[in-house]
Amino acid sequence: MSEQNEDQITTEEQTSSNEIEQLKQSLNNCEDKLKRSLADYINLERKTKSDIQNGIAEKLDKFIIQFLTIYDDLVRAKEILKKENPEAQGLDGILKNIDSLLESYGVTPINALGEIFDPNLHEAIAVINDNSLDDNTITKELRKGYISRNRTLRPTLVEIAKKSQ
Amino acid sequence: MAKIIGIDLGTSNSAASVMMGGKPALIPAAEGTSIGGKAFPSVVAFTKEGQLLVGEPARRQAVTNPDNTIIAAKRKMGSDHIFKVQGKDYKPQQISAFILQKIKKDAEAFLGEPVTKAVITVPAYFDDNQRQATKDAGTIAGLDVVRIINEPTAASLAFGLDKAGQDMKILVFDLGGGTLDVTIMEMGGGVFEVLSTSGDTQLGGTDMDKVLIDHVVNEFRKTTGIDLTKDSTAMTRIREASEKAKIELSTVMETDINLPFISYDQSSGPKNLELKLTRAKFEELIRPIVERCRTSIDNALRDAKLSTTDVSKIVLVGGPTRIPMVKKFVGDVIGKGPESGVDPMEAVAMGAAIQAGIIAGDVTSDIVLLDVTPLTLGVETLGGLREPLIERNTTIPTSKTKVFTTAADNQTAVTIHVVQGERPMAADNVSLGSFNLAGIPPAPRGIPQIEVKFDIDANGIINVTAKDLGTSKEAKITIQAGTKLSKEEIDNLKQDAEKFAEDDKKKKESVDIKNEAESFVYTTEKLLTQDLKDKLTQEQGIKISESVKELKEVLDKTPDEIKPKLEALKTLVNQITTELYKNISQPPQQEQQSGPSEQNTQNQGSTN
Repeated sequence: MSEQNEDQITTEEQTSSNEIEQLKQSLNNCEDKLKRSLADYINLERKTKSDIQNGIAEKLDKFIIQFLTIYDDLVRAKEILKKENPEAQGLDGILKNIDSLLESYGVTPINALGEIFDPNLHEAIAVINDNSLDDNTITKELRKGYISRNRTLRPTLVEIAKKSQ
Repeated sequence: MAKIIGIDLGTSNSAASVMMGGKPALIPAAEGTSIGGKAFPSVVAFTKEGQLLVGEPARRQAVTNPDNTIIAAKRKMGSDHIFKVQGKDYKPQQISAFILQKIKKDAEAFLGEPVTKAVITVPAYFDDNQRQATKDAGTIAGLDVVRIINEPTAASLAFGLDKAGQDMKILVFDLGGGTLDVTIMEMGGGVFEVLSTSGDTQLGGTDMDKVLIDHVVNEFRKTTGIDLTKDSTAMTRIREASEKAKIELSTVMETDINLPFISYDQSSGPKNLELKLTRAKFEELIRPIVERCRTSIDNALRDAKLSTTDVSKIVLVGGPTRIPMVKKFVGDVIGKGPESGVDPMEAVAMGAAIQAGIIAGDVTSDIVLLDVTPLTLGVETLGGLREPLIERNTTIPTSKTKVFTTAADNQTAVTIHVVQGERPMAADNVSLGSFNLAGIPPAPRGIPQIEVKFDIDANGIINVTAKDLGTSKEAKITIQAGTKLSKEEIDNLKQDAEKFAEDDKKKKESVDIKNEAESFVYTTEKLLTQDLKDKLTQEQGIKISESVKELKEVLDKTPDEIKPKLEALKTLVNQITTELYKNISQPPQQEQQSGPSEQNTQNQGSTN
């Protein structure tokens, strides 16, 4: 009889300690999940912030790139105006204003003329032979490029010189 | 666990993607987004100085350095071809490895952690040699390629076709910059099996760009006699403008190509290029190219021994499939519309990331699904208005608190009426229940602060508590909202909100103006009887009293009748108070009035 009782108690003890183990396990799981959720949330908050900033920057870049094509047209208009009437200065002021507007948004022009071609900043669309110049010297700026926040918004389109072989 | 990235190693462009928060996100190229979106050109180059260039910079110098610039290395994968560059030999997998290295670097910058594992996609027709070469390329780049999957499979994953829970036959139409791949697959139990592949290695979006550019150049020649093809600046501008026009014509029926000062001639002056391009014209130009796709579709079906009616789903991949005509063409040939919802240019990279996520354990069934509240929850306030507390589609569990006040002097109890719905008048929404908070000490209206807290637990059970912040007395109600409304009822409520939006707006406006008028009457009367009692002349007092009386008379009338009286009273009170301050010789000390921000929202009072 007494042995049986002892057996019963041991089994009960066994069951309850198992239960405790299970509960501990489940509590640990829950704590882990909670911490993860909180961490996820904090990370999400940070990511959302940078996503918003990047999103704005991307939209602005897109706009500036499209705006630059119109700016290019003004530059062309100025050059042609100069050819027809060397005294004409009407567009110079407008272009200067646009330049300073772009600069205030951190958009700066890429200088190319006379420099050595750099594919990070320039895009070559024409090659000429010239033995008097170093290889890859930029001989013509065909369309000005711009940098925004250390990134090439649009490369300067250039013509470069190669020594004839 | 470290992230595994998915890579679309393409012939003309490459892109990578990674699972973030359960969804695939494109990894941006370090040099920024280009015309091709977040993808970058699969170009590798070596400069004279021995510098390695990959992607956009490599493309930009291609003209100056054609011998040392390698494009479309993918076409040579698995072959014995050797690229000879500056006296050194490179196998195709070595060239591909340079592209993969760049992707690895971009991914690490994007994720802020080391990336060592990847899933890479290949065309379905790649043989074992070509697949092994792709794997080798990964190893050279320092990536453990955990799986190579077929591009059409990846695209199908991106569209979620593996989750459809039914067997199907999928036709994947992948029209890239320079190649067309048509693949027919059978999907059963989430497993994809390729039935046939077909394609054309000399057909793609580049051909379409070319016919469009030719058209623009020819039109200009026709009107001016000037040939622009020798002018590289002009050609660059035309190429860019054509690209832009092509994209625009996917959404509009007509666009203008406008290139001022495209050429200059001393004798005839500057010339502008102005051209109207309709979608019809564009389609006429590209029709022969689109028609060429038919053969590949027919061949793929024939090889799979299927007829068009056997195809259950169509998946489109590649930039040119954004063109409505291409979409329609494929749809018409098969006789059903293609799948939509995923950018066809990003589908393969995204699918690769999904596969990578499954392997990494990022995509498991163990995701905690969080519910949202289907409708806005709020309480009824003065004049029968509904004040929203928890907006619809808020993820639960959540809680929100707002402080309200009384609507009448010496009001000792408030009724909190909880409503659910999207209409501004409480009565038009579903009532979930109401309860009283009594025992508020007598005070002028607007003084007591009653905090109402809504708390929804993960099971959708709502606990609403009202607490008098002055006495800390509390009352609450528990609502088993989940059992209250069916999906249909919710939809009906949402539809009602849209249907009655105009009427509701008017109703709310009329209550708002009435509330404002009542509140102003109350404040003015208080001025008369208490605050300014001794400071007003008799004449001023009578004037204000009359004006208040006039406003009170119209309180139950329409807003149009209330408004002028309210304005009249406001003007009068302002005039008199301004005069009062003028008469004070010394300016009074500035005293900041502070109070709880939400206190102007007044709860409907109940008599008790």
